[in-house]
Amino acid sequence: MTVSSILQIPHGAQCFYGEAAGLRRAIEHRVGEVFAGWSYEEILLPLFDHYDVFARGGGLTSSERIFRFIGRQGEVLALRPDFTALVAKIVASRMQDRPGPIRLFYSGEVLRYQPPQAGRQEDLFQIGLEHIGRGLYADLEILLIALEALDAVGVADAVLTVGHAGFVQGILDSLDVADDERRALLEALRGRDRLRLRQILKREPPAALIQIMELFGGAEVLEPARRMADRPGSREALDCLEALSAEFQAIGVGGKLQFDLGEVLGFEYYTGLVFEIHAPGLGQALGGGGRYDSLIGKFGADRPAVGFSLSLDRLARVVSTREPDWTRRQSPLRVAKQKKPAAALQEALELRRQGRRIRIE
Amino acid sequence: MSAGITLAIPTGRIFAETAQILGSAGWVVPRDGVVARKLLLSNGRRQSFILAKDRDVPTYVEHGVADAGIVGADVIAEANADVYQPLDLKIGRCLMVVARREKDHALMAKPVIRVASKYPRVAQSHFHACGIPVEVIPLAGSVELAPALGLADCIVDVVQTGQTLRANGLVVEQVLFESTARLIANRAAFRLKARELGALVAALEGVVASMATEQEVRLRGDTSADPPKPAGRRRGGEAK
Repeated sequence: MTVSSILQIPHGAQCFYGEAAGLRRAIEHRVGEVFAGWSYEEILLPLFDHYDVFARGGGLTSSERIFRFIGRQGEVLALRPDFTALVAKIVASRMQDRPGPIRLFYSGEVLRYQPPQAGRQEDLFQIGLEHIGRGLYADLEILLIALEALDAVGVADAVLTVGHAGFVQGILDSLDVADDERRALLEALRGRDRLRLRQILKREPPAALIQIMELFGGAEVLEPARRMADRPGSREALDCLEALSAEFQAIGVGGKLQFDLGEVLGFEYYTGLVFEIHAPGLGQALGGGGRYDSLIGKFGADRPAVGFSLSLDRLARVVSTREPDWTRRQSPLRVAKQKKPAAALQEALELRRQGRRIRIE
Repeated sequence: MSAGITLAIPTGRIFAETAQILGSAGWVVPRDGVVARKLLLSNGRRQSFILAKDRDVPTYVEHGVADAGIVGADVIAEANADVYQPLDLKIGRCLMVVARREKDHALMAKPVIRVASKYPRVAQSHFHACGIPVEVIPLAGSVELAPALGLADCIVDVVQTGQTLRANGLVVEQVLFESTARLIANRAAFRLKARELGALVAALEGVVASMATEQEVRLRGDTSADPPKPAGRRRGGEAK
């Protein structure tokens, strides 16, 4: 390689130093403290695993975005494009005898091929948690943790947009459409694109499809949603959301929740609650999550779970515009060089013993 | 970004119509700013405008520097942007087509087709979806010349009247989709400024609906109806 080609950066490679590095570490630390404060146990996951693990995990990252390579025995390996599949695998194998709930958190880089494209901000370092367990308590717990974590890094004005994978699916069930058509419809709903709905169905879309796109706003949208829920799946979805809403209101944080029943937020493997986190000052979601009750089953242990992750890259962007004081370090004490190094170094060591930050000059 | 709403609007061929519709919806694009060729305008009502190149509108909106924007569906398809498309403004109507030289009947039988286009992504994904190998030649303009010059076998481009095609000896081989101007919105802004953006969508929806009624009245030649207001005037049925 010539020198000039060595200095080129492959797309997606990131490097941070100075204040940017300090900010990222500080955010990672604060969020980790919050997770640990709710008794989530840190798990350090491998950088790579068999490609099949991620392929089976599915949904998260389409296969063309996964970096694959061949192991020494000819097996196909992949750099981790996400954490959830890895956690699912560990829970289904090494932790299968542990009683629920299991609470785990992780923090680290994910490796994805990022197609060069305008407007996309990198999402390559994630801090997240997984709660292996079922029920309203679990869902409520992780939503509250998400809010506290954001609060801890000075993003107190974040909004959680909550939906349910079962609601839209229930509405689509009643339409009797083929699988690929269904996928296209979900895509169109994600874009709130009525014209596209009409193109896919080749007729005027049924009123229900148009109406669900309007089920967006405060807790008041749950009422019209209830009238539309004619399938058991949709009804259960609403029971779940109504319960969440009631508890949030009872705790006094009802205003933090927004409902969106018109699209399936997030990934294909979500089966229940889904949510996205937004904050003023950023055009993309800071993170998101949801309930995935059948994913761990793909690794052989049928355990329901719910989780979320935050993008450190995007968090850092939002936090840095708000000029936080907690990311700054104390300024160092100067230790002057002397003729005999030992004298200066002894002074330095003494200050270090006192826990002071020093700088030899 | 926190104060009010910022709209990205395209300075291209649909600018005048866009500004007119926005004006009728209560979003007045300040004329003096446009005349002064400023690129960032505000009308003092917490409404700001970014005057952007068509192709940059999806970028501004996806990135969130603009909360919403107006741009053709052709441009959105090429940008493949992850944005909401809550409203069809029904202006700037055109067709995305594959066009070939009139005498080149055996185009589709060629083993590899060379396609010149300002929409390389649209062109590529269309032919690949049909299982046809193509070599896409990206051009910035005057795409219609490419077949005549031997640069490409066919083109993928938008047409309004078809006049340019005819003048260059081209005919439409296939229509891919109809494109009209859309309101697009940033996914985060749609949640964080739900009320303001909801009001914008509703206001524009009203204007678009009244334009459609007016046009229908005019097409029926219904002279008993009120004369069309200048705000909604547009050429009827110019496309196709």
